[in-house]
Amino acid sequence: MIRTWWRPELGLAVVVLVLGVLVVVGTLDVSAAASQLGIGPRFFPSLVGGAMVLIGLLYVIDVLRGGHGDPEESEDVDAGAPTDWRSLLLVSGIFLAFAALLNVLGWVIGSSLLFFGLSVALGAEHKLRAAGIAVVLGVATYLLFVEGLGVTLPAGPLGGVV
Amino acid sequence: MTSFQLLLDGFAAALTPVNLLYALIGVTLGTLVGVLPGIGPAMTVALLLPITFTVPPASAFIMFAGIYYGGMYGGSTTSILLNTPGESASMITALEGNKMARRGRAPQALATAAIGSFVAGTIATALLVVAAPAVVAFAISFGPEDYFALAVLAFTAVSSVLSRSVVRGLASLGLGLVIGLVGIDQQTGQARLTLGIPQLLDGIDVVIVAVGLFALGEALYVASRLRHTPPEVVPVGWTWMGGSDWRRSWRPWLRGTALGFPFGALPGGGAEIPTFLSYAAEKRLARGVAREEYGKGAIEGVAGPEAANNASAAGTLVPLLTLGLPTSATAAILLAAFQQYGLQPGPQLFDHNPALVWGMIASLFIGNAMLLVLNLPLAPVWARVLRIPRPYLYAGIVLFAALGVYAVNGTVVDLFILYVLGLLGFAMRRFGLPVAPAVIGMILGPMAEIQLRRALAIGAGDVSVLVRSPVAAVLLALAALALLTPLARKLLARRGPAPSQREE
Repeated sequence: MIRTWWRPELGLAVVVLVLGVLVVVGTLDVSAAASQLGIGPRFFPSLVGGAMVLIGLLYVIDVLRGGHGDPEESEDVDAGAPTDWRSLLLVSGIFLAFAALLNVLGWVIGSSLLFFGLSVALGAEHKLRAAGIAVVLGVATYLLFVEGLGVTLPAGPLGGVV
Repeated sequence: MTSFQLLLDGFAAALTPVNLLYALIGVTLGTLVGVLPGIGPAMTVALLLPITFTVPPASAFIMFAGIYYGGMYGGSTTSILLNTPGESASMITALEGNKMARRGRAPQALATAAIGSFVAGTIATALLVVAAPAVVAFAISFGPEDYFALAVLAFTAVSSVLSRSVVRGLASLGLGLVIGLVGIDQQTGQARLTLGIPQLLDGIDVVIVAVGLFALGEALYVASRLRHTPPEVVPVGWTWMGGSDWRRSWRPWLRGTALGFPFGALPGGGAEIPTFLSYAAEKRLARGVAREEYGKGAIEGVAGPEAANNASAAGTLVPLLTLGLPTSATAAILLAAFQQYGLQPGPQLFDHNPALVWGMIASLFIGNAMLLVLNLPLAPVWARVLRIPRPYLYAGIVLFAALGVYAVNGTVVDLFILYVLGLLGFAMRRFGLPVAPAVIGMILGPMAEIQLRRALAIGAGDVSVLVRSPVAAVLLALAALALLTPLARKLLARRGPAPSQREE
C-alpha cells in the first residue's frame, strides 16, 4: 500500500525541501553585526532558504499529483531503459575506492586502476586492451601534468621510477 | 578611440605566435569535446581553469573563446553523423542533417553546417563589436539595484525557459544558489553552511561543481542506462558542396544568424529556441525541391539552425562581457574564469582592460576561420572520434574529471565532494532537471547577494530602493513575467482544447 504513492522522483523533491530547511536553520547561528548598515550575512541565505522551502513544497506536490520530468536524452543513453543499478553501484564503488586509495597508490597506479575498472564495469570487451590503455593514460597524464604543467599529483610507491 | 581602432589593436594582440597557438589549441580542443558525447565546452573550460593559472589572462581567454566556438562546430558533426538524438541545441540539426547523411549527402550536410557556422559566427561577432560598446554606454550608469534586477531576470528566465516544468528549473537554480552560499561571507568574514568542515570555508570551487554536475553526473547517468548497441556513424569522406547547395544555403544562413544573435543575447534565450525557430521558418519558406525534401533531408534545415546555433553563441557574449551576466552554462564558467583572474566583466572591463576584451573578440574572428579549415578537410577524422568505444570514452572522462578536480587544491576531500555533486548531477538528469540554472545560480548568486546588500545599504534598509530606478523596475517586471508566462500558458491549455502533441 505504501508503495503506491512513492516515486523515486519524490526523493529529489524532498532533498530540495530539506535543503531549504537546512539553509534556514543552518544560518540561524550566523550573527548579524549590529553596526552593519543595511543587511547582514543572514538575510540572503534566509531568502534563498525560504524560496527553496517553497519550491521544494511545490515540487513535492507536483510529483504527488503525477507530474514527472523526462529523463534527459543524450547520444549514448537509452532514455526508455530502466535504471541499471548494478552498473551505477559498480561505477560509484570504483570511484570512491579510487578517491580513498589515491594517496596510498599514487596517481599512476590509482588512475590506471580507475580507468581499467570503469571501462570493464561499463562493458569493455577486450580486458587486455583496456589494461593497456589504462597504463598508458596513467603514465601519460602524470608526465604531462606533473612534469609538463607543474600540477601536483601524488607520486605513490612509483615516486622514484616515473 | 572608436571600437574599430580598438578591434585593430585587438587583432595585433591576438595575432602573436603564442596567442595564435592558444587559439589553435582552443578550437581543436573545442571541436573534439563538441564531437564527443558526454562532455561539452562548459566542462572543458572548467577543467582547464586550474591549469591556466600560469597563463596570462589574454591568452587564456583566447583559448577559452576557441573552445566555446569549437564546441558549437563539433556538436553539428555529431548530430549529422550519429543517428541518435543528442542535446537540445543540436537536436534540430539532427532532424534533417542525419537524414541527409543517411541518403549519402553527409559531405554536403557537414559542409553547409561548417560554412554556415563560419558565416554566422563572423557576422554575429561583427554584431558583437557594434553592440558591445552601445550596451556599455548604456550600462555605465547602472547602480547595484540594476545589477541585482539583472541577476534576478537571468535566474528566472533561465529556470523557466530551459525546463518544461518551471518548478524543476527553479529547483535546479535553488540547488546552485545553496552551493554558492557555502563558505565565508565576503563582506563580514562569517562562515556560512560549512558544517564545521574547514575545507568548506573557502566555498566549493566552481571547477568541482561544474565537473561534478557535468562530467561525473553524465558518466553515472550513462552507466545507469547505457545504450548497448554500438553507435551507427555514417561514414564520410571529402567534405564539399556544389553550386545548387550554395544557392539553397546562403539565405538560411543569413536568416539563422538574424534569429540566433538576439536570442543568444537575451537572458534565457539560449540556442534551443532560435534553432527551432530557424528550422520552422525554413520549413515554411521551402519551395520546389526543398519542399519535397523537407523531412527527408533538406539542406535548408541544416544550414539555418546551424547558423542560428553559432550566432547565438556570439550573442551570449554581449551580456557576459558588457554586464557580467551569463545566460548559458558555458558563459557562467567563463564568468568564473574572469573572477579567477580578479576581473569583473562589465563596463569597467572595457575601460580598464581594452586589450584583453578586444583581443578576445579579435580572436573570435581568427578562431572562426581556423574552425572552417579544421572542420572541412578533417571531417573524416572527427567521424572516427565518434566511434571511440563508449566504455573507454566514459572511463576517460571520469579520469580527467578526477585529475582536474584534484589539481585545484591537491586534496582527496575534493574527490568525495565531487562524487556527491556527481550523484546530484545524475539525479538531475534522471528526473529532467536542467543543469544550467544550477551552474548559473552558483556563480551569479554571490554577485547578486553583494549587489542586493549594496543597494539596501544605500537605501538604508528601505526595500523600495530596489525598484526606484526605472531600469531595475522593468527588469524585475520582466523577471516576474518569465516565471508567470509558463504558468499562464498551462492554465490556458487546461481550459482550452488539448494542446497539439510536441515533437519528440
